[in-house]
Amino acid sequence: MHTKDINENIAWAKINEDVLRSMENPRVGYWVAVAACILMVSCAVLAEIYQYQVGMGPSNLNWPHMWDLYIATFVFWIGMSHSGTLLSAILHIIGADWRKPIYRFAEAMTTFSLLTAGLFPIIHLGRVWNMYWVLPYVSDRGIWPNFRSPLIWDAFAITTYLTSSAMFLFIGMIPDLAICRDNARGWRQKLYTVLSLGWQGDDRQWRHFRRIYLLMACFLIPLAVSVHSIVSADFAMSIMPGWHITSFPPYFVAGALYSGCAAIITLFIILRYFFRFEEYMTIPILEKTCKLTFAIAMVWSYLTLVEFASVWYGHDMASKEALIARFTGAYAPFFWVMLFCGIVAPFGLAFERMRRHLPTMFVLSLILNVGMWLERWMIVTPTLESSYYPFAFDTMWPGIVQWAIVFGSFGWFGLLFLIFVKVFPSVSMYEVKEMVFHRRHYHSEEQAVKFHRRATDRQLTDQPGTEGA
Amino acid sequence: MSLKNVLENWSDYRKTHEQGGHHEYEHMWTLAIDLNKCTGCNACSVACYAENNLATVGKEKLHKGQGMHWLRMERYWDEPQMGGDDAEYHERGASFLPMMCQHCNAATCEPVCPVAATYHTPDGLNAQVYNRCIGSRYCSNNCPYRLRYFNFYSYYDTSWPEPLNQQLNPDISVRDKGVMEKCTFCVQRIRTGKDQAASEGRELRDGDVVTACAQSCPTQAIVFGDMLDEESEAAKLWAKQQVELGPYEQKKDKEGSELRGYRVLEALNTDPCVMYLDRVREA
Amino acid sequence: MSGNDINRRNFLKFMGLGGVGAATLTGCDMPTTVTIEEGKEKVVSYLAPEEYVIPGIGNWFASTCQQCPSGCGVHGRVREGRVLKLEGNPETLNGNGLCMMGQASLQTHYNPDRITQPMARKGGSLVPVSWDEAWKLLQENAGKVDAGRSAWFTGTVSGHQAVLLKALNKAWGSQDHYVYEAINNAVGEAVNEAVLGEAVPAYHLNKAKAILSFGADFLGTWVSPVHFAKQYAEFRTGDRGILMQVEPKMSLTGANADMWVAARPGTEGVVALGIANVLISKHQVSGSVLPQAALDVIAQYDVNKVTEVSGVSGDQLVRMANYLRGNSPSLVLSGESAHNHENGYQNAMAAMMLNILLGNVGKTIDGSNKLAVEELQAKTGSSAALLKFAEAVDAGKYDVVFFKGTNPLFTAPVAMDLAGKLAKVPFKVSLSMFLDDTTMQADLVLPLSSPYEEWNTSVAPYQPVEAAISMSQPLMNPLSSETRSFGDLLLGMLKHHGVDGYDFPSYYAYLQDAMDKLPASIKGSAVDFWADSVQKGYVKATAEGGSLTTKLGDLSQKAVDVGGDFPMHLVPSSNQTMWDGRNANLPWMQEQPDQISKVFWDSWAEIHPKTAAKLGVHEGDYIRIKSDQGSIDVKVYIYKGVHVDAVAVPMGRGHKEYGRYAKGNGVNPLSILSEVIEPTSGELATHGTRVSITKTGEHEELPRLGGSETQVGRRLVSTVSAEVFRRTEGA
Repeated sequence: MHTKDINENIAWAKINEDVLRSMENPRVGYWVAVAACILMVSCAVLAEIYQYQVGMGPSNLNWPHMWDLYIATFVFWIGMSHSGTLLSAILHIIGADWRKPIYRFAEAMTTFSLLTAGLFPIIHLGRVWNMYWVLPYVSDRGIWPNFRSPLIWDAFAITTYLTSSAMFLFIGMIPDLAICRDNARGWRQKLYTVLSLGWQGDDRQWRHFRRIYLLMACFLIPLAVSVHSIVSADFAMSIMPGWHITSFPPYFVAGALYSGCAAIITLFIILRYFFRFEEYMTIPILEKTCKLTFAIAMVWSYLTLVEFASVWYGHDMASKEALIARFTGAYAPFFWVMLFCGIVAPFGLAFERMRRHLPTMFVLSLILNVGMWLERWMIVTPTLESSYYPFAFDTMWPGIVQWAIVFGSFGWFGLLFLIFVKVFPSVSMYEVKEMVFHRRHYHSEEQAVKFHRRATDRQLTDQPGTEGA
Repeated sequence: MSLKNVLENWSDYRKTHEQGGHHEYEHMWTLAIDLNKCTGCNACSVACYAENNLATVGKEKLHKGQGMHWLRMERYWDEPQMGGDDAEYHERGASFLPMMCQHCNAATCEPVCPVAATYHTPDGLNAQVYNRCIGSRYCSNNCPYRLRYFNFYSYYDTSWPEPLNQQLNPDISVRDKGVMEKCTFCVQRIRTGKDQAASEGRELRDGDVVTACAQSCPTQAIVFGDMLDEESEAAKLWAKQQVELGPYEQKKDKEGSELRGYRVLEALNTDPCVMYLDRVREA
Repeated sequence: MSGNDINRRNFLKFMGLGGVGAATLTGCDMPTTVTIEEGKEKVVSYLAPEEYVIPGIGNWFASTCQQCPSGCGVHGRVREGRVLKLEGNPETLNGNGLCMMGQASLQTHYNPDRITQPMARKGGSLVPVSWDEAWKLLQENAGKVDAGRSAWFTGTVSGHQAVLLKALNKAWGSQDHYVYEAINNAVGEAVNEAVLGEAVPAYHLNKAKAILSFGADFLGTWVSPVHFAKQYAEFRTGDRGILMQVEPKMSLTGANADMWVAARPGTEGVVALGIANVLISKHQVSGSVLPQAALDVIAQYDVNKVTEVSGVSGDQLVRMANYLRGNSPSLVLSGESAHNHENGYQNAMAAMMLNILLGNVGKTIDGSNKLAVEELQAKTGSSAALLKFAEAVDAGKYDVVFFKGTNPLFTAPVAMDLAGKLAKVPFKVSLSMFLDDTTMQADLVLPLSSPYEEWNTSVAPYQPVEAAISMSQPLMNPLSSETRSFGDLLLGMLKHHGVDGYDFPSYYAYLQDAMDKLPASIKGSAVDFWADSVQKGYVKATAEGGSLTTKLGDLSQKAVDVGGDFPMHLVPSSNQTMWDGRNANLPWMQEQPDQISKVFWDSWAEIHPKTAAKLGVHEGDYIRIKSDQGSIDVKVYIYKGVHVDAVAVPMGRGHKEYGRYAKGNGVNPLSILSEVIEPTSGELATHGTRVSITKTGEHEELPRLGGSETQVGRRLVSTVSAEVFRRTEGA
């Protein structure tokens, strides 16, 4: 059985070649995918134009269901964005280097899901044309947004996170962009020349690069946690039973990492298959991702149960009713599907044979994400269905406009991602090389014995450190 | 606009907002609604439609929950545990509850509005600035009474075909799509009353301002008035029932009390400005 | 204006408060105000508005609501020449209050479906014609009609319109004026007349300590609901009175009752007798005030028998009797659901018997204060008029029929085939604001101005406290220049007919003259009687209340038919929202949820959960209600406020015409009524139709406001016991 996470004998030139090849010559399949995504986006655009003209009515939003799929999908996409940060920043800091071949597309996913998520708070506004009012711009009239509102925090959090994650993505790409520059012609060469910021790979540049990368990683981790905590505040800060729950911030963060990881598995398999990245996106790496996903799934499941339990033991009538309504109310089928997808389905990840079977993992990752999307919907809607005021109890099913926009958002994400993989290297070449180098020197048995630098390292060699020399 | 202005501006904002709004109220408008007198006849609701340019949205939209009943007359049947189930008929009739914006002093809708389109006025009103509203609808989600209604369409397109539009009250606007709206305690009438009093060079007196619902009520079950004016009928009713603004529990809730005054869902500490008096039942 | 030194403003200054000036000040905007130059009407722009018109400031003017026959006084807020809002006139019967119909009557005035010009039937359909042509047609067809071959068919009319109408009929040599109201109290009036000697006595709900009502929805549709609501508030405060309601379908009054008792439709009289039986046998109430014949009948109705006939349990009877016995004076009323049966007269009589037995007459029922001028008094409507009219029309009695203020083709049972019978009338004239079902069948349609565009006097049929003439004044200029007030049209017809003594330029001029001629006892000592009346909106004429007699009639009850193939009773219930269907074209009223079921914009059938379980239907399922006259399909609302044997379908919806808001909304239960007649009063027994109900299998969500029917454990409506209330807040 193949256990090495990367072949340490792979030639560096081959790495460059393989990755650069993936950026060229799109085939029919690619164009079909692009067309499909554009079609999906058109659906959403048409729906949005209609909604803009007519109002929020056709979306079936009503009293009391003032929020629905838009907000749920917003939270879903924000959640998606957490995977990139997890892989690139957290795993970077804790030194898990198996992340290296796959973190690039995960980071891109972060940025693009934020770009998608950011659209929803705008789309869901009744008066879209005034959306800039949520920003604290300098107004002649001295009017400021309401800083007490979680929606304003959202605006800050999302813009900050989007900027930072885009920066992180870009900075991490600079050495690779230089490789692209050196191998490209025409417009690509010009583009990469500008973007690679004159990278030559000298020692000083590498030193600065490492520092800023670490700095960004450290900055991004608390940011990511705070972003989803703030998104959860949209609910947790409200007074509504089923929303007003203290455990929401960690619950949302866990859910975010969960759905992000699941999405990484999906994209991992897609990229590996279509770009023939079998040598980089290896089964052991997939396995590790799956294990990570499973761990997060368990954390999330635990928090889900904690939420139920804390409501149950809280003895707040309205909250209890809201909880029971989620299990038995009009939306209960979706709730049960959500529980199955979110809690039961991830146990598939626990089995090695399943983890190593790509089609199974592909389907499973999609199931997990369906579950996570349903989870967001099941947070937003059942609470609105029945809360404090019995006269306003109501069951509402989203209208075609909402579905079209939600559907289109996947096309939008896909489109951005498709453009990305053909313009930028979706596997980090320089880091794969680092990884290969590392494996060559540390993982061959011979070298391992020689250079085994674990706890006993210092005593064995008793040599002065070379750092700073 | 200079930087200095911006900074001053910001500092003004900080000063007025850091304490969570106004503490020196000029008025504290309240309603006292006697459910013993209320017959559920709906006159108040139609009066509200007439006074406040409420759109009639039609069967489909109203059924979809996209209507504009600022003042809704709720009707409840007895619950099984209250003896309603075993009886063959609703022998004790129905319970009616006229429900309009409660103008909570600790309104849950206010802090969540991203653009501060809803805020508390020095009159103790929970105001909604239509021009500022961007339609995030968070306020409605966070209203435990569900008393905020959203313009899901440009209702003026269809609600007032010529010449019905001539009935529109010019004192207040007709709202366009994308805006949240709700009961204002007939703020235009308060404005008119204040102007009238000012032009006569006197203080506002009880009775100068009457909301459309209170005015139209055939049984005078709804009483509108200023809590800060101790002589007002509403203030007297509150005082008589020992209902106070502020606490989340009233004397009525104490053991052995025989008072009738309470506020709906006040345990949520929303501090509503509408007091209800118990419905009275023979058995 | 600039070329003319004397403008309206100066004119007013010259006139001071006298004459036309006063009228101008009190009226809002007078079509009849003349300028000084040529005696012509003159349009004055906003650049030179009336003295009192300040842009942005509303003025209040008194007028009278005509939406239902109660005749409530209103104050209309007028701003920039438009009437915006109506409020109750505190000095009149209704006080500050105004019901939802009154509020919404503004939409009658501003309705987009109003007729804006005369129309005549040409080639089978109604086409717009000019007034000249309309008058010509009228002259040709109605001018030379033989004596006695014309008739008027109207809703309630009173005041000077009634005077003119009478004069016109006289000129035509016809006595036939049918006054029809689908929602009426005619059976009750017949009984009142027979027993008390007065058809419409004064009821003092506020003086009663207990009220027992047999289907009289006095908070909703009975006689003068707003006035009664005002009294009800008094009745409920202090030593709070007890309200009991016996009826097959919960009305608004029933929903407010302390005790709502479902009786099998038509057995209200039996319940009344049962209560009397308990009162006499258990409570030692002296029956000596009743004639022996009555006592004999009462003795037959012991508790067991009453339970068997009416379904009201012995416990309920005893409790009602206890309440009546322990709370004196009481008041027993009867209304719609008790009256509109084949035995309606007996039901009302039995209810009246309780009043006599409990000694309420003279305490809570009093003689009313009739206006001294009889010709101004209201002609109240009945459905007997409809039946007589149909008969006369069928016999080909008339060449010309005038319709005004009523829509019989909507409210008459289809079984009567009124449309077919009306075809025998060669020329039908409808004076109407709307193209309603009846107007659509007319040969000539004369567009009426709205009550808020015209001068008028009216006298409410119910005059409990003081007799009063209600004044109506235009609250704004007519929306359409082609509409005419009813008074002007009557005057015009009189003139065309060459009747002497009606040579007035307008109804306004006539009214001023007629008011001036009122007896001094009514005019009082006001300096300027006309201006004073218009300003106040009423003329109060103190009159001696008559005294009542107590001549009890026969109490024997007729057994209610078992029904055979049609086991259920159809209850075509009335409600304020739609009234008799006249409110169906008002969007505010369509949008208002029904007071009890909270359904809007549509019809529904109310059935009891047991009935529903038997049929296997749930809310929103369609049922087919079938009578011997046809069937209707309607969605169900299921609740415990309707008798197990009854199916209640509110009337007022299901118009085939009547404008965009009314047309096609819901179904009309009146269309399947059997032609059952209450023999004593000759009234149509609208609740006497027997039906069968079946499930159709179709389903559509019931458009109903409110997610939950109960409070789900929240304390939204908190409750306290009456005992505590009397202790803490009692007088």
